Amino acid sequence: MTQLALQHYLAVGGILFAIGLIGFITRRNLIVIFLCTELMFQGVAINLVAFGRFMNNDPGGQAFTIYLLVIAAAEASLALGLVVLLFRQKNTLDADAWRELKG
Amino acid sequence: MGEVSAFAAGPFAPSLVLGAAGNGAGPAVSTGVSSGVLSPVLILVLCVVAGVGTYLLLPSRREGAVRKIGGVILLAAGLIFGATLIRAVAGAVQGGMSVFFWVFSAITVFCAVRVVTHARPVYSALYFVLSVLATAGLFVLLWAEFMAAALVIIYAGAILVTYVFVIMLATQSQSAGDAAASSAGEVGAIAEYDRVSREPLVASALGFTIMGVLLFVIFEKAPGGVLDKYAGASGAAVRAEPVPSAPAWTGSPAVAPPGDAPVMTAAPPAVRPVPTYTPGSPQALGTYLFKTQLVNLELSGLILTIAMVGAILIARRRVAVVKPAVGGPVRELKPDLGGRVDSSPASVPVYGTDNPRAKAYPET
Repeated sequence: MTQLALQHYLAVGGILFAIGLIGFITRRNLIVIFLCTELMFQGVAINLVAFGRFMNNDPGGQAFTIYLLVIAAAEASLALGLVVLLFRQKNTLDADAWRELKG
Repeated sequence: MGEVSAFAAGPFAPSLVLGAAGNGAGPAVSTGVSSGVLSPVLILVLCVVAGVGTYLLLPSRREGAVRKIGGVILLAAGLIFGATLIRAVAGAVQGGMSVFFWVFSAITVFCAVRVVTHARPVYSALYFVLSVLATAGLFVLLWAEFMAAALVIIYAGAILVTYVFVIMLATQSQSAGDAAASSAGEVGAIAEYDRVSREPLVASALGFTIMGVLLFVIFEKAPGGVLDKYAGASGAAVRAEPVPSAPAWTGSPAVAPPGDAPVMTAAPPAVRPVPTYTPGSPQALGTYLFKTQLVNLELSGLILTIAMVGAILIARRRVAVVKPAVGGPVRELKPDLGGRVDSSPASVPVYGTDNPRAKAYPET
């Protein structure tokens, strides 16, 4: 008899991560690109909390998720600052407008 | 479900050996999801189908009907995947928790797909809020109430407000800027870079390859004994009573409960009661954080402060106003940081300059 287990939560986290990755590659709007990174962060957070829960209720999973939220918040603030800066230069949010950065 | 593996009861190393040996032909003792629930062929087929659906669904120059077909394909693949998993766990005694898991996961994944595939950034952000809320529901199911609240407050509250703010600032000024170029009068015409995605085929292939590999590893290749052992261990635990084997974070001399005598009175540490918090509760998490992770916690606060200062430094526009000579015009010194002072409405208005779009200086 099977029951709801760690695998299910890991699967949800993995699916979120993959979807976020697809969005990160395909979208051309700078803001949506960073939104997709937040989606990937969220999948990782589900993984961490699920591991913490299923491994003898270790609070380390939740503690690490707190650090992940901290990094995500810092990343979001810095990234949005950069997006505002880039938007002022070219008046567009298109990531392809900065194609010359490829070198 | 076919064959169920017998790795569940085994310790770590023997289960690894058994897993390497391959076909679980032992007695059917399994507490968790074991191999055989999702065959690799099924995972492969579902990922290919979902990849095709995502490719069709991603914003592109196609007409809406094709995108709808892609959405239907993707939805069908997701439903088949979910139904296969649900059927595997249907008979188990769940205490009603299983239904919430499926509902929350379905909302999360659906909203994530919509975040990626919606052409309007504001809608993407709002779907992301919904996805975050459903994830918070999953966290509650995982006994992580504090993380659920923190996720809602930080993600859905703070970060997403910033995102939506920037999106609206940008799109508004953009539609004001090239209103003549685009079809005038149409409120909120979607920009070209939102309508046409970049490399949808490659991205779908890559993303669903990664998803397929992840699912394959999770459901098939993971040593079933490891994952199932943990599932059986804590899945059987009842929430109300603490874990009998006292974990490390409740062991040492502990926080005095409120209303107790002050700590400095000369009670020996052995007398002091050792509180055992409910696992996963905010008390347990806080005790763990402030006992064993104190430096990390302070460092994360420092990181947040630095990030805030950095964001302000990056995004501000430095415009220095020089006091004019008598009768002379007001002159601006414009350092290169932050670009030129232009008439873009997206630029932050600076008081006290002769930027034509600047607000009037408050005369109070």
